Amino acid sequence: MSIAIRGISKQFGQATVLREISDEVPQGSMTALLGPSGSGKSTLLRIIAGLETHDAGTIELNGRDVTGVPVRHRNIGFCFQDYAPFNQLTVFDNVAYGLKVHRVAKADRRRRVEELLGLVRLEEFSDRYPRQLSGGQRQRMALARALAIEPEVLLLDEPFAALDAQVGGELRTWVRSLQREVGITTILVTHNQVEAMEVADRLVILNDGRIEQVGTPHEVYDRPATAFVQGFLGPLTTWRGTSVRPHDLELGRDGAGTSVEVSDVVRLGFEVRVVVRDGAEAPWVQLTHDEAARLNPVVGESLVLRPRQ
Amino acid sequence: MRRSPVWLRLLVLVYVGALVALPLGFIFQQAFAHGVASFVSALSDPEMDKAMELTALVALVAVPLNAVFGIGVSLWIVRHPSRITRLLDALIDVPLALSPIIVGLMLELAYAQSGWFGHPLAAWGIKIVFSYPGIVLASVFVSLPLVSRQLTPLLREVGTHQEQTAATLGAGPVRIFFTVTLRSITWAAAYGITLTLARVIGEYGAVLIVSGNISYLTETLTLNIGNNFENFNAHQGFVGASLLATVSVLVLLALGFARHRERQRHEYRH
Repeated sequence: MSIAIRGISKQFGQATVLREISDEVPQGSMTALLGPSGSGKSTLLRIIAGLETHDAGTIELNGRDVTGVPVRHRNIGFCFQDYAPFNQLTVFDNVAYGLKVHRVAKADRRRRVEELLGLVRLEEFSDRYPRQLSGGQRQRMALARALAIEPEVLLLDEPFAALDAQVGGELRTWVRSLQREVGITTILVTHNQVEAMEVADRLVILNDGRIEQVGTPHEVYDRPATAFVQGFLGPLTTWRGTSVRPHDLELGRDGAGTSVEVSDVVRLGFEVRVVVRDGAEAPWVQLTHDEAARLNPVVGESLVLRPRQ
Repeated sequence: MRRSPVWLRLLVLVYVGALVALPLGFIFQQAFAHGVASFVSALSDPEMDKAMELTALVALVAVPLNAVFGIGVSLWIVRHPSRITRLLDALIDVPLALSPIIVGLMLELAYAQSGWFGHPLAAWGIKIVFSYPGIVLASVFVSLPLVSRQLTPLLREVGTHQEQTAATLGAGPVRIFFTVTLRSITWAAAYGITLTLARVIGEYGAVLIVSGNISYLTETLTLNIGNNFENFNAHQGFVGASLLATVSVLVLLALGFARHRERQRHEYRH
């Protein structure tokens, strides 16, 4: 077990932020702490890093109890949402900072920094200052800086939240492959379930300071343990008094099922949402572009609604 | 960008010219009114030289004191906000709002040999008012907020993520202070320290009262300039004034240059 979290509790004044959180993060995995804002996920990450104190419980890194060990002796890599670049230092010196602290000889330092800048594809930017970089480049610099000290674990706080959708998407793919290449145990915090499922091989879903469910993206999506997880991970609609995924429903022109009236058709490119009326209920069905083209639903017409086979 | 209209530019030029440039030039013109030789000989006036020495000694102590105080107090206010720091934040501006003459009177009341603090200090043989420590005290007081006022907003903006990152990379508190905290506030601190220096060497009112204005003993350069004018020794006064003005202008120019360089280095790539 690479990171063991045992019974961590935390209060801020009267507010309880974390309630006896326990989890074991396997060596080399990419785990996402996923939850809405205020669920305690960032606080838990900061406690693992040693940037925040906790009231009860212990943290172990590779079998070493680090509870009470100051952050600088924990040997972790941490990236903030704003990347926290050292603005007065060049990209090279940013990455070299931790090596300098650890008294790595100058020649080795240079070699190691150049290696890392190659890894994050910032070779040509080594003499630039952080303000001359784009958001995505700054994040890659922050990653190289964190990896320079060869940390035991890598902790990323909302790593893609400050980037626009396109850059964020490219970086997610890139971070995933980088993590596999380096093989470092990584925990990332995010409020975005798509991002979590895309990047992580393991999700820890937090709500109100408690763990709701732990599992692979596939497991938690298909077999949500609680109503909260079900609602948080993907769209839900209500039909016959129960919550179902809109893509688990099917519309047809004939066959078995309930007769419903089409009340709205929303086209979102690949996805088409068909809202229908069934008595007092208004469930919606998620169709692909092709399915919608074959069915061609028209507002006001009658169709047959049934669970997808 | 569209250029501002000619009349507006002219108005600003005339305004600044009449208020700053011309009077400043006038001082230098008067200092050199009797020729360069006369200026040079006035430079070696023993009383003025002694006064310059005292001003330098006062600045040498008062400016570092306020630099350290300013950095410390703004870190405290920003990083550990509490009821005490809110009070401190409000109190720290008092020296700017008060007239220097009131500052002088306050200090004299408190630190004179009959005063609240002065009495016990005098029993220990420490004399504040009418001596060097009193002048330093007055100088420190009038320039108290100049460093911290530059730093507090900047420290808030910079935040603590850089420092925390440095800690995760293995750096200890002392290293973090010198390599991260201080580096991100260098130019703001330099600006505040320069303002402090200008204020300290230029202070007149508070120092006049606290020092007692004793020739060769507690007479600073500003007091010496004033004394020369009162004693119908205007030329010597203008020579002193031109020296003081030169120092101030040089300090401001150096700072402007440094700021310009710093901004160039950090120019965004567009």
